[in-house]
Amino acid sequence: MTLAQTQALLHEAITSGTELAPGLIEGCLASTRTLTSHESIEIYSNMYRWRLVAALREVFPNLSKHLGDGTFADLAEDYVRCHPSEHHDVGQIGKLLPAFLREHPDPERPYLAELAELEWARNEVFFAPDGPAMDAQVFNSIVPAKLASLRLQLVPSVRVLLLAQDAMDLWRRLENGEPPRPSASVRTTAVVWRRDFQVFHCNVSPREGGALRAARDGGTLGEVCACFEGSLDPTSEAFAAISSWLAERWLKGIA
Amino acid sequence: MAFQRLGLGHGIGLRTKHFGQFESQPSPVDWVEVVTENFMAQGGRPIALLEKVRRDTPVVLHGVSLSIGSIEPLSIRYLDDLARLVERIQPAMVTDHLCWGTWCGRYFHDLLPLPYTEESLVHVTARVEALQERLGRQVLLENPSAYVAYRDSTMTEWEFLAELSRRADCGILLDVNNIYVSAHNLGFDPIDYLDGIPADRVGQFHLAGHSDKGKFLLDTHDSPVAEPVWSLYREALRRFGRVATLVEWDDRIPPLAEVVAESRRAEAIEAEELGPALRRLAS
Repeated sequence: MTLAQTQALLHEAITSGTELAPGLIEGCLASTRTLTSHESIEIYSNMYRWRLVAALREVFPNLSKHLGDGTFADLAEDYVRCHPSEHHDVGQIGKLLPAFLREHPDPERPYLAELAELEWARNEVFFAPDGPAMDAQVFNSIVPAKLASLRLQLVPSVRVLLLAQDAMDLWRRLENGEPPRPSASVRTTAVVWRRDFQVFHCNVSPREGGALRAARDGGTLGEVCACFEGSLDPTSEAFAAISSWLAERWLKGIA
Repeated sequence: MAFQRLGLGHGIGLRTKHFGQFESQPSPVDWVEVVTENFMAQGGRPIALLEKVRRDTPVVLHGVSLSIGSIEPLSIRYLDDLARLVERIQPAMVTDHLCWGTWCGRYFHDLLPLPYTEESLVHVTARVEALQERLGRQVLLENPSAYVAYRDSTMTEWEFLAELSRRADCGILLDVNNIYVSAHNLGFDPIDYLDGIPADRVGQFHLAGHSDKGKFLLDTHDSPVAEPVWSLYREALRRFGRVATLVEWDDRIPPLAEVVAESRRAEAIEAEELGPALRRLAS
């Protein structure tokens, strides 16, 4: 058997979770002092599943807490079967879990995908590259006539998400060890960011959320400010919002 | 080319649970090892801490995802990330495992032994050479713990490792616990293993705990080093002399003081075993 054939066979045996044709494993592996070749493979199969479930549990602690160990492990194993790890960092294994939960929704818990999305964003923000934030003076020194056509850039450690309010409430209650409570499924914009080594998130008003999403998606400052139209004082509101983004160090620059 | 052994002393694995203490206090050990892949992200607390620790304490990068034995090409993305981290941290050593762990771009996140054949040896030698050329430095490869025996193997693991280190001009990270676990599971004499390893290629020892699962021993890194492993460590010291020694503890991690105590025990055993020899040398 060549090295390639050996690796193909063992990969199948370890990850598929199904019995291979009789004799295949025995032809490749010898029994050890105490283990048959199938028992040897089972050790690796169990470790494979255990390690990936543990990695997912670490990234999605509140989703795991909410579902309970057994249900979370079942979900994680279903997910890993569809999305095996393709990154050398096992911590990246959960990247597609929010999308997986959207594709396979639990009718009684439609918020699970968004709870996962929030936890994944918090994980990404924790490990995001550091980068200098824009100084307010730089922003204030820009000639007003030019402002409308320029684009704000967010620092790499900020994420802007559109989430159901109940996913955020649920995360908070789980984090604080409080019992989960059903709540109205209002859509809201959540901002996730890091200060030093601590990750925070909050929701913002619908207008500010629209403005942040416009900035995230590369809209001009004119388009960002247009999100405040309809308010009592759009200019003041836009200025207050951008000032707070600068103060929170969410902005990297303007170009 | 010869392999240059570094006298680092006694270290422990730097794990998340102890980050706070390493941030606020000087390192309690001579050197630390980190799991390479956990520090490849370009921001956040892990890399910031590593840069701080690195200022006063030698750091060893220990990879688990290189997959040097896989049949598919080495991952360019992985090599780029590794090279960037090596450049940033300037580690004392770069180590990984003699194993395979990927297939068709998919990662097991496990360390599977290879069939020890001439085909595997040629394959792995070429890849170690490519890796060392990419990094511009020698690397050390660690013997894995094993639960399988391949029918096609034509040599023992220690013969394979010894020949690989000679052909590829790399170092050997000898995991004493893994030798003990594999010897128990596969039924070979661990002393034969030690006797088959070239002393001039050994650059580091690993010590760790394992679990007795009844029919086999599992390399769990979740408990103190077992007494028979300490005995085997003494045998290794007698054969290889003073070698940088690391205590690994990766699961059910106790307070830092307990891990450090294990490292101190390794230091004391080294002094017991090598002290007389060193005194003889001095006189």
